[in-house]
Amino acid sequence: MPRKFRQDVIHRWRENPVINFENLPFRCHDMYNAGCIKIDGEYILLITIEKLDGRPAIYFARSEDGLYFNIERNPFITSSPDEDFKEYEEMGVLDARITPIDGEYYIIYLAMGRHGIVLSIGKTKDFKTFERMGIISQPDNKAGALFPRKLNGKFAMLERPNTGDGIWIAYSNDLLTWGEREAVLSPRGGFWDQGRIGCAVPPIETEAGWLLFYYGVKKTSGGTLTRIGAAILDKDNPTKIINRSNIPILSPRELYERIGDLNNVIFSTGAILEESGEIKLYYGAADNCICLGTTTLSEIVDFCRNGLEEF
Amino acid sequence: MVRRIGRDFLRRFDENPILTAEDIPFRCNTVFNGSPIKFNGEYLILLRVEGQQGYSFFALARSKKGFHYDVDEKPVMLPEKSGKFALYEERGIEDPRITYMEGVYYILFTAASRFGPIIEIAKTEDFKKYERIAMISAPGNKDGVLFPEKINGKYARLDRPIGNDVGSIWISYSDDLIHWGHSKVVVSPRPGYWDSYRIGASVPPIRTDKGWLEIFHGIRMTASGPVYHAGSVLLDLDDPSKIIARCDEPILSPREDYERIGDVNNVVFACGAIVEEDRSMKVYYGSADTSICMATGNLDELIDRTFND
Repeated sequence: MPRKFRQDVIHRWRENPVINFENLPFRCHDMYNAGCIKIDGEYILLITIEKLDGRPAIYFARSEDGLYFNIERNPFITSSPDEDFKEYEEMGVLDARITPIDGEYYIIYLAMGRHGIVLSIGKTKDFKTFERMGIISQPDNKAGALFPRKLNGKFAMLERPNTGDGIWIAYSNDLLTWGEREAVLSPRGGFWDQGRIGCAVPPIETEAGWLLFYYGVKKTSGGTLTRIGAAILDKDNPTKIINRSNIPILSPRELYERIGDLNNVIFSTGAILEESGEIKLYYGAADNCICLGTTTLSEIVDFCRNGLEEF
Repeated sequence: MVRRIGRDFLRRFDENPILTAEDIPFRCNTVFNGSPIKFNGEYLILLRVEGQQGYSFFALARSKKGFHYDVDEKPVMLPEKSGKFALYEERGIEDPRITYMEGVYYILFTAASRFGPIIEIAKTEDFKKYERIAMISAPGNKDGVLFPEKINGKYARLDRPIGNDVGSIWISYSDDLIHWGHSKVVVSPRPGYWDSYRIGASVPPIRTDKGWLEIFHGIRMTASGPVYHAGSVLLDLDDPSKIIARCDEPILSPREDYERIGDVNNVVFACGAIVEEDRSMKVYYGSADTSICMATGNLDELIDRTFND
């Protein structure tokens, strides 16, 4: 019983969810969210799916129109048996965020093991083979996303470290050793993003600056509410916040966003900026389906600048 | 009322504690967790002093023989009030650990702020001028100690991030002391043991024939709060992520009143040790987050002890 809520800045696709359990060629527990990329007109999703053994893995899906997807039966990234990774991935891999740099597609994902959650990076050229490069954080660290180009001669990444509940930036010369950290964005007391926040979509370069879609969590007596917000960061120094929307751009409203194994969650790890200026935001809803929301670049930049009128 | 406990491997100095707030020439709350080093024929301890405001900073103590110390009139490192480190040191700087390497004394310490604890690295060549180099961890990390030499061509450090609510000792490597990676778990808590809750590096690693000797702190959580012990582990010289031996029993536990009673009860927390030419060791430790103590032992006996011989 979709209710077609129309007040969010992101417009829901009328046939949401894009991917439901019925669309999968296998059974599973949960479906979280999807990293995405468009290559030669083809839409690619890397979906986190919790397998029946309880461990999440990352699955490949493709589509010609970005609306109807075919999902592969075998996972694209799954817990590695390799000695260097085993202990760190034994409880699953999830939340792939894709960033293209110089013909390579870099994927930062979360590795879960007995020692907690760490960020891990790997790369692919063709989405057929995947090469692990290394673990690039200490625990617990989440929501790692690479910028699509070097900043001041260095690779840059956003992350959500163990304490502070906010978004940080780190820099690297080799993608494997990281430093020069600074805080970028922190939770705001009293706001919808008061609990904790993290990068959702890898930063998108625009004329106004880096467009950042981030998730914000509010704790309530009945659990958490996870929503998506937007901010614009300075092109050369992303710790400078140019604009930050005062309200979320997408909140759980529809039943498929309200009800699932994790209620009231909208979480994204990827969006596609079309040549037309349209933005396709793929998001996981209530940990049980993948949905599509759209907006335009000018609309979202304008919204970050002006926000909602205060009464 | 000193009770002279003889059971611990490390032997307490008769005149413990060697430094308390009374020995600091300016008003403060406590002095604890100091890192010792021999410099120009003198023994120095870089002290963590907690001011009465509540945040910590560093002062310097000097001694001719390593037993009786005088503290310099003024603090030597204070939280930065401006510049890029100020925001991350707004709640103080804590727990220094000194490592000497290639003519430079490196100091790893914890910066405290709204974001949580972060490991920072600074250096000095003369213990007069101190220069911050970089923040070298994400927030939520502490107890950083630098190895005194490069391993396979890279700088190496141990530290204590928290993952899945478990605090283990990790190792990371770097080419430039600024960018760090290739992180791995080295030593984890042992269920049922005295180090069952959390463990972290304490003394900067000491090179021995049998491996890197690391004196660490192990915490057991009890109904009335944590109990901090000191233990030892030997790590492979070429690949310090490999454990060669680990002591089953602590080498020092809170027993005396000055270790049991203070701002944080039941804490012995080493931040450094001096190994003398005759292989005797002076281990300096904070007790009950309130004063600084010293205990002695023999390096070879400690190695045997680490093998549980």
